[in-house]
Amino acid sequence: MSRRQMKLGLFLWATGHHIAAWRHPQAHAMAGVDIAHYIELARTAEAAKFDMVFCEDAAGLREANVGIASQTSRSIGFEPISLLSALAARTKRIGLVSTASTSYNEPYGLARMFASLDNLSAGRAGWNLVTSASPIEAANFVATGLRPHADRYERAREFATAVTGLWLGRAGHDGQGFSVRDPLDIPPSPQGAPVMVQAGASDDGKDLAARTADVVFSAAQTFKEAKAFYDDLKGRLAAYGREPDDIKILPGVAPVVAETEGQAREKHDQLQELIPDDVGVALLSSYLSISDLGRYPLDGPLPELPESEGMKSRQALVIEQARRDGLSIRDLARYFAGARGHWRVVGTPAQVADALQARFEGGAADGFNVMPSWFPGELDAFARLVVPELQRRGLFRRDYEGRTLREHLGLKRPTRREA
Amino acid sequence: MHLAVSLNIASEPGRAGLDFAGIADIARQVEAAGVDMLVISDAAPDGRPSNSPFEATTLVAALATVTERIGLVATASTLMHQPYNLARRFASLDIISQGRAGWSATLAQNPREAANFSWPEGFAEGDFRRRAQEFIGIVRGLWRGWDRDALLFDKEGGRFHDPGKMHLLDHKGEFFSVRGPLNVARSPQDAPLMVMSGLAAADLDFASGVADVMLIEATTPGTAKATGDDLQRRALAAGRAPGALKVLVDPRPETGTVPPDDRLGAEGCDGLNLVLAPGLAASTDFAERVLPWLRRSHARRSVGSATLRGRLGLGAGGEQ
Repeated sequence: MSRRQMKLGLFLWATGHHIAAWRHPQAHAMAGVDIAHYIELARTAEAAKFDMVFCEDAAGLREANVGIASQTSRSIGFEPISLLSALAARTKRIGLVSTASTSYNEPYGLARMFASLDNLSAGRAGWNLVTSASPIEAANFVATGLRPHADRYERAREFATAVTGLWLGRAGHDGQGFSVRDPLDIPPSPQGAPVMVQAGASDDGKDLAARTADVVFSAAQTFKEAKAFYDDLKGRLAAYGREPDDIKILPGVAPVVAETEGQAREKHDQLQELIPDDVGVALLSSYLSISDLGRYPLDGPLPELPESEGMKSRQALVIEQARRDGLSIRDLARYFAGARGHWRVVGTPAQVADALQARFEGGAADGFNVMPSWFPGELDAFARLVVPELQRRGLFRRDYEGRTLREHLGLKRPTRREA
Repeated sequence: MHLAVSLNIASEPGRAGLDFAGIADIARQVEAAGVDMLVISDAAPDGRPSNSPFEATTLVAALATVTERIGLVATASTLMHQPYNLARRFASLDIISQGRAGWSATLAQNPREAANFSWPEGFAEGDFRRRAQEFIGIVRGLWRGWDRDALLFDKEGGRFHDPGKMHLLDHKGEFFSVRGPLNVARSPQDAPLMVMSGLAAADLDFASGVADVMLIEATTPGTAKATGDDLQRRALAAGRAPGALKVLVDPRPETGTVPPDDRLGAEGCDGLNLVLAPGLAASTDFAERVLPWLRRSHARRSVGSATLRGRLGLGAGGEQ
C-alpha cells in the first residue's frame, strides 16, 4: 500500500497574505486587476502538483475605515467565480475552489454557478461555504444588518442541503428559508458534484462541516491547537455515518523559505518593516475585539484588558504570550498583521518540510493550505524549494493521480439520485 | 454597420449541449469573421429547462481567456442574482476580457426562475418591472463607485488607493438596500456594455434610457426601421446623446437561415444580430453558409478599437 501523502491547497489572496505584501518591491501590486497574473500563479501551482487553488471572498470591503483600507490592497479584486471560470480554461488538472456565501445567495443560483464551473473545468470545482459574518457585507444586501450567528447557521444548514440535493439530481426543496421547484438544469461533471469545503471554527461550524464538508480549512498556531481541532472534527463524523478519512483537514500555513535560515529571516523582516503602524494596530485591535488600542504608546506593553464578549481562548493565549515575551504593541501588531493569525514557518526548505511533516505525521493535518506572504515570489520559492523536498521524502505526489479534484483528494464520488 | 451573433446554449430536448471546445470554436470563428460581439444566453425561450453544461456568465469568463477581440455578452436575470453580486461579476468579466464584456439584462419575468428562487407565486407585473429597474440602476451605480484614477499603487508612500476617489452608493429603495462601494476596481469600459432585447411595450422607455445596444426582430421587411426610429426617439427623449443607443436587427426571423445579401443594409438600423438557431452552430451549415456570410458583411467595415464600446462607436461607460 502506498504511503499516505499530504494534500496541498494554494490560498490565493490579492497581492499576498502579508498585509504589506503589495508594498514589496517585487510584488505585483496590480494583481487585483490583472488576469494574466492569476493565470501564472495557477500554472505555477499546477506545475508543482498542488491539489487546488482556493479563493477567499467577501461581498464587500474588508475594512470599514477608509484611511486604513486605502493603505492595503484588499479593497479591490476579482469576483472569484468569474476568476476561477477564467482559470478553468487555462489550466488542466488543478482544483478550483471558491468561497460563496449562504447569506447572500439562493441555493438554485449558487448550485448553478458551481455546476457550470465544475463543467468548465471537467470536474475540478469546489465550493467553500461561508455564512458571512461581516456587517460591511450585510449592508450591501439588506437594510436590517447582520443576522445573529445561530440564524446564519440555520440558513446555512438548509442551504447546504438544498445545494447538494440539486447537484445530486433531486427535485424540489421546500423549507423555512428557500423554495426550489425543479431539479438543476445543468448536468453533472465527471466528478459527480463539486467538492464541499468549509472553514468555520465555531461549534455550529464544526457540526455543519462534519455533516457536509469534504475539505476543512483551519487556523492553528501551535501543534496542540491543530491536533485538538483535528481530533475534535474527525470525532464528529461518526454521528453522521461518515468515516474519518471522508474529510481532509488543511490548516493554513504561511511559509517564508530561502536557501539559508538567515536569508529567510531577512525576507520576513523586510516585509514586517513595511507594515504601517496604524494598519497593524487596526488589525490587532480587530483581532482582539478592542476598539481603542491606538491610544496607547506603541512601544509600550499591551494595557490591562477587560475580558471581552468576542474574545476566544486563542486570543487570551496571545495576550499571555505577549506579556511573557515582553512584546510591545507594535511588535505584537506586526506579528499578527503578518500572517493574519495563521501558522508562520520561517526557514530553509528542510526546516519548513520538517515542520509540515511533524504536523502531518503527528495526526494534526491531512495537508496544508499554503498562504504565500507575497505573489509571485513566495509561491515560486515554495514550489521551487519546499515541494521537491516534500516529494523527496515521499510526502507529496510527483504527479497527479487523477483528473478531477475528488480524485486528487482521494474522496468518494457522491451517489447521484436521478430525478 | 455593426454585427452581433446570438447563441442560446440551452439546447433542444434530446440533444446534448455544446461542450466548451465547441463553443470556443464558434467564438473564435465569428471573431475571425469580424463579428463585434457574441451574445450568450442560457435560458430556453419557451421556459423549458436548459440542458447545457454551462451558465452564461461563467462561460463568458472562460471564453474571455481564449479569444482576443470579440465582445462577450452574457444574459443574466434579475431574479437569479443579487445586484451587488451581479455588478461584481460583470465588472470582473470586463477586467478579465480587457474591456469586452456586456450584460444582457432580461426585463421579462421567467416563471421557472421565480419558482426556483423562493418566489413560488412570482411578482405582480408592475412590481417586477419596478424591481428590475431598481436592480439595473443599482448595478450601474456600483460600476461607477471607483473613479478612473482611484488606484495609486504607490508602494513607497504606502498608498494603494486614494480614499477620496471611492464612493458609497447608499441606495435604499423599494426592493433593495445596497451601501457599496463595489469591491472590484473600475472596469476598462467604465461600465460593461448594457444590452436589452425581447422587450414589452411598457419597458421601451426605460430600456431606451439605459441600454447601449438593443436587439430587435424584423417580422416583415420595413418594420425594423420603424422600430429602430421609435427606440431612438425614446432615447433622445430620455436625454441621451444621438448615437448613444445602437439598434441591431435580427435579419431573418422567418427563414431560420442566413439572410439574402440584399438585406444586409440593416434597414436603417445600426447593424445586424444573427441569431444562431439551436443546432445550427454545430452543423455544416454554420461553416458553409453562416461564416462566409459573416465574412462578407465584415468586408464592408473596419475596426480598430480594443474595447467593445470602442468597436461599437460608443463613448466611455460613464462620468467619474
